[in-house]
Amino acid sequence: MKTRKIISLLLLFVAIPAVLLIGIVLFNDGKYQIISMIVVILACIPFFLSFEKRRPDAREILVIAVMSAISVAGRAAFAWVPAFKPVTAFTAITGFKLGPEAGFLTGAVSAIASNILFGQGPWTPFQMFTWGILGYIAGLLGKTKWMDTKIGLILYGIFAGVLFSFIMDIWTVMSYDGAFSWARYIAAAGTALPFTITYALSNVVFLLLLTKPIGDKLERIKKKYGIMQPNS
Amino acid sequence: MKSLHQYHPIVIFFYFFVVIGLTMFYMHPVLLGISFLGAVLLSLFIQRKKFLSSLKWLLPFMFIAAIINPLITHNGEIILLYVNYQPITLEAIVYGFSMSVMLLSVVFWFGSFNEIMTSDKFLYLFGRISPAVALLISLTMRLIPLFFLQIKKITNAQRTIGMDPTTGSLWHRIKSAATIISILISWALENAIETADSMKARGYGLKNRSTFSLFKFDRADGIVTTVITCLFFVALISSYFGWNYFAYYPTFSTIELNMTTWIVFISYFALIMLPIVIELLEVLKWRSLKLNN
Repeated sequence: MKTRKIISLLLLFVAIPAVLLIGIVLFNDGKYQIISMIVVILACIPFFLSFEKRRPDAREILVIAVMSAISVAGRAAFAWVPAFKPVTAFTAITGFKLGPEAGFLTGAVSAIASNILFGQGPWTPFQMFTWGILGYIAGLLGKTKWMDTKIGLILYGIFAGVLFSFIMDIWTVMSYDGAFSWARYIAAAGTALPFTITYALSNVVFLLLLTKPIGDKLERIKKKYGIMQPNS
Repeated sequence: MKSLHQYHPIVIFFYFFVVIGLTMFYMHPVLLGISFLGAVLLSLFIQRKKFLSSLKWLLPFMFIAAIINPLITHNGEIILLYVNYQPITLEAIVYGFSMSVMLLSVVFWFGSFNEIMTSDKFLYLFGRISPAVALLISLTMRLIPLFFLQIKKITNAQRTIGMDPTTGSLWHRIKSAATIISILISWALENAIETADSMKARGYGLKNRSTFSLFKFDRADGIVTTVITCLFFVALISSYFGWNYFAYYPTFSTIELNMTTWIVFISYFALIMLPIVIELLEVLKWRSLKLNN
């Protein structure tokens, strides 16, 4: 427990700033797309590491795998509508019911697995991180009463859509210029606006439709088999 | 020697890591051109159909991306014309096109990477870094086709009680589809617990368990890894001394041709053409085998 925390803290407060600093000093003409990729990958490591070190139970792994597989299947099923994807909703529901760690893993694994099907690219680490963090946030919010209300779900859905778009736009801008420029960011965000709205809308629709039925099923499995309980 | 697909996953990963990293890093026109040429040739070799059909939407997209740059960036010394009192410079136009070529090369390299790095190799690599997460991914990959199969079974069963999602009013269809998804998820979660218990019964998580893999690191892998490492090292040194540096702003730097730049270009060319040479040798070998018989 202790070493794990130290490694995570070291990564967050030493390794990531170090990469940023080395990057800025070494490549003075700014190769931010490579630096940002390294930072995003480093940011995912503490989550994977803590999962690895905990020696997770087989049942736990399987439940997370099922949720990831359903969200990938959902992404495949909706492949014909651009940006209208249920991945965030499934990730968030897992987060709500099974906690922040399971939420992160579902999001990150959905990104890797769906990109094995649809093709890996420089965007994979960014999707991993964004969906993971959205699942993590959902896990934290799930501990409050907020997510039992429709308003809470709608707000979370909009927030998730905007955040996803926001981070992916940063990736677009950095990969193009090798540096971050506000002018191009605004241009990218402007052209991506219909996508942002679609992301947010699909999140809200899927969350409102799915949270109750799928949440109940997860709740039932948790009770029936006693998995992911605080005392088990 | 063996064909590209037969190399050890670590070698394949290392090669694409180096090449994609350097491609993203270099803005030197000659090096960009070499990488682009290599990406196109390799794509034609190993994923011709996918590659040619992806050009339909990639080329227009990259063209638009290239012409947007001079409208946003007004750096540069060679001014061609003014639009809305803003200068349009030759440097910005060339930079936009170079950037598009770079992005296209990266996309093509990734395309070839996806073709060679099949999911079993990917999971093998990931499993060495993080076994639990690799298990999670490989279970997910296995569950996806299983779910599609199960959806078919559930749909057939539901049809017999009149819940057919392909007929009836729209509301009826949606209701039937929702029932199928709901049944699928209940089944999937119960099935997951059963699978987990079966895994546990067979000793998942016990100490001293060995794993089986089909991949062997042999002499050809060693040779290729050494070659990649040496060429990568040359690239790193030349980056350190700025031999491969090229500026677009405020105006273009000159491309010098001397001993050092030739070494830089040739070593990069060798690195980029490595997989193509391997594939060519393989093709030639097969052809000569055919002729002999």
